[in-house]
Amino acid sequence: MNVLPNLLLLTISVATLTACSKDDNAVTTQPVQSLTVKNLSADPISTTAGSGTAVQPVAATGKFTLYSLRENKIIANTDSATNKWDIGFRSTAIIINGGAIRSGQGGANVYTGTFDALTAIPTSTTFAQDQTATQLAVPGGSGNGWYNYSSTTNVVSAIPGRVLLIRTGDGTKYAKLEILSYYLDAPASPTGTTPSRYYTFRYTYQPSGSTTLN
Amino acid sequence: MSASLLVCLLLQQTPVTPPADTMRSRSLDAVVVTATRTERQVGSLPMPVTVVGKNQIQQSGSLRLNDILREQTGLTIVSDHGQGLQIQGFSPDYTLILVDGEPLIGRTAGTLDLNRLTVGNIKQIEIVKGPSSSLYGSEALAGVVNIITESPTRTQGSLSARYGANRTSDLTGDVSLRAGKTNLYLFGNRYASAGYDLTPETFGNTVSPFTNYTGSGRLTSQLANRLKLTLTGRYFTENQNTDAQLTDQQIVLGAGKVNEYTINPVVTHQVSDVWKLMYRYYRSGYNTATDLRYQTTGAEYDASYFRQTFNRPELVVERTIRNRHFLTVGVGYIGESVEATRYPGRQVFSTRYGFAQFEWVPTRRLTVIAGGRYDDHSQYASQVSPKLSARYELSPTLALRGSGGVGFKAPDFRQLYLNFDNGVVGYSVFGTQEVAAGIARLQQRGQIAEVLIDPARFGAIRAESSVAFNLGLSANFQQTYDLPLQLSVNLFRNDVRDLIETQVVAQKTNGQNVFSYTNLNRVFTQGAEVDASYRLTLGAGRLTVSAGYQYLDARDKSVVDAIRAGQVFRRNPETLVTEQVKLADYGGLLNRSRHMANLKFFYELPKQGLSASLRGIYRSRYGFADRNGNLILDTDSEYVPGYITWHVAAAKTIRQLTVQAGIDNLTGYTDPQYIPTLAGRLWYVSLRWNWQQRASI
Repeated sequence: MNVLPNLLLLTISVATLTACSKDDNAVTTQPVQSLTVKNLSADPISTTAGSGTAVQPVAATGKFTLYSLRENKIIANTDSATNKWDIGFRSTAIIINGGAIRSGQGGANVYTGTFDALTAIPTSTTFAQDQTATQLAVPGGSGNGWYNYSSTTNVVSAIPGRVLLIRTGDGTKYAKLEILSYYLDAPASPTGTTPSRYYTFRYTYQPSGSTTLN
Repeated sequence: MSASLLVCLLLQQTPVTPPADTMRSRSLDAVVVTATRTERQVGSLPMPVTVVGKNQIQQSGSLRLNDILREQTGLTIVSDHGQGLQIQGFSPDYTLILVDGEPLIGRTAGTLDLNRLTVGNIKQIEIVKGPSSSLYGSEALAGVVNIITESPTRTQGSLSARYGANRTSDLTGDVSLRAGKTNLYLFGNRYASAGYDLTPETFGNTVSPFTNYTGSGRLTSQLANRLKLTLTGRYFTENQNTDAQLTDQQIVLGAGKVNEYTINPVVTHQVSDVWKLMYRYYRSGYNTATDLRYQTTGAEYDASYFRQTFNRPELVVERTIRNRHFLTVGVGYIGESVEATRYPGRQVFSTRYGFAQFEWVPTRRLTVIAGGRYDDHSQYASQVSPKLSARYELSPTLALRGSGGVGFKAPDFRQLYLNFDNGVVGYSVFGTQEVAAGIARLQQRGQIAEVLIDPARFGAIRAESSVAFNLGLSANFQQTYDLPLQLSVNLFRNDVRDLIETQVVAQKTNGQNVFSYTNLNRVFTQGAEVDASYRLTLGAGRLTVSAGYQYLDARDKSVVDAIRAGQVFRRNPETLVTEQVKLADYGGLLNRSRHMANLKFFYELPKQGLSASLRGIYRSRYGFADRNGNLILDTDSEYVPGYITWHVAAAKTIRQLTVQAGIDNLTGYTDPQYIPTLAGRLWYVSLRWNWQQRASI
């Protein structure tokens, strides 16, 4: 008879304790967000030129498309001086909301490996930030960062095995991001005239703030 | 009486083609000059040499040099800024093409277009495989192809006309006149074609119509008892009309012209029985000009030109020692100039060189050849190329041969002088001689964000070089076993280093790169080659069956290292999932087939003046381009499917007239997407008339 209230107390305390520990173990309470973003426009131009003729870009704004990984949506450029955005795209350039010229505390690291095999950010990872307009966290130029540009086929191809490890604009959360294609509708065999500057990428965002990413 | 005898002799006159016996014994007795720069019997040479004689060229119905070369074991024709020759897995840039021992110029982008050489005046083609820079210097890295032209010693002439598919016509005439100790040989050729279109649904031809003319002459004169003068000249001109459609649907038309001339006097002075001197001078000029204009407005779209000149005086001394050993020493100077649309100004550079070779023949069974050459170039580091080769006759049937040597290839014009800014994407490419000035100019405009390599290293470039080994066995079963069978096996390995590749040297403020060229890469090619020929008597005639096969493995060493370190990945283009690349997936260098084979039948009925041939050439699949973003060849979708082409020809000779008909590419196989140079089924008919001054009986 007296066992029942004790048992109830025990159950309640165990439940409370486990509830507390479940908050720490983010895998079961707050799952990671994994999703693929398609055709994110990054300042597209209306025509692409072949070799030998120079074509003036039409309706290119010269502005970056800012993106929030947590909310999975584009952030307006008016909010560029806030922590709302994590990563920005314009043509082949990628910017991160962190560093001397930015207002956020984000960072990025270009990691070599498979996206699916990366289950946690390695402890030795150093996050680079955008220090100047030419010294970016994700380096520009073919082969240096996320893409290869082939002058024979005029195609920008995302280097397989390059994963961007991102620290978000508020400096507290982590994500891994892999760029899949630079072209509209991610065709299997893009050519030099396929409409470009439309990013298809997938990412996994860890909302708890830990570095585990699976 | 004598008149009727003469008539009888005329009626029974065998065809003017050489007697059929030379086909059997030719490979053994043919005399070759390319391997050692001295005349040697091909069977006695310690390096792999293939000889293709005039008879085989004619019976195969070949018109241009690439036609006959693509049928030889271990050789294939690849298309890269022209149709070039691939030997032992090397790009066409790495094989030296000589005409009568003098180099052919005009490598606008590294490749020599072999379609520009007619076979009408060729006596024999000598193909030496393996590095030969110890004698010939730059570009003789994969081997040397020497085209020996006719130098008949009798008064004779011939005329031939041929017509075939795609309105291809070929007119050839030559005449040889002898007067006392002087001989004059003149040759002319006109080759024209309407081209063809493998993709009629798209605008423009796959190959545009063209016409070209070749004229050559040789004057040989025995000036004195021990003095001989040979003067050779050649002129080539080609005109091709191109039309193309741009990405914005506009049409551009224009003409492309090529002009080439060579002049080559050689004086041979047999000073004594043991000393021989040769003075050679060679001058060649090569010009191309293209002018493309918009069809609608006539405004200029692209006008570009390329002009190259080449001068080479050379002295070669030969000393015969005890009638058995031979010492050859040579010195020379090369002066070259190049001018082109994308190179600033007219570039001039020179090379001084010296070479030596000792052929040691201690016994009848053993031959050892040691040699080396030193090249001192004005624009890049000097080069030493040694070579050692030996041949040992195990028995009258079997001979073992091996050679090891160094080959090199000079940086080409683009790698030295290119000055190019891509106006659309924004990157720049500078040759090594232009990079310092180019970066300074961009820095002045404030376009350089960061210079990535030490500026002191700007312009430092070395020639690409290789170390190669060839080991082989040749067997001739005629002498001991009275079997008309010949067999030859050759194993090869080439290690190439300092391959010149583009490299990022600076970053521009627009985020793009400045590229230059540097010695970066290491590749290797290795494989085995087997060649056999067997002659049998079939009825009243002779049938010669020959077969050849090459296995090739050509890979980039840095890619192999990266794969082993787990740093290479690939993305499936459909699912976009990334996975690691395994070593077994790596297909090696692009445009190389793992397996190549040929099978040829030549049938002759000498008494009836009939001949026929059937030849099949097989090329296994080869890599075309990277499709999954990792810049290497690793998936099935990146290959061009392998294919076989069959060629058939038959000829009948009646007195002085020969009629020939044939079909190239019997099955009509084409691959419009990947192989624009494969034209489909090509039929042809030709008529040839030979005459000779009758020798007095």
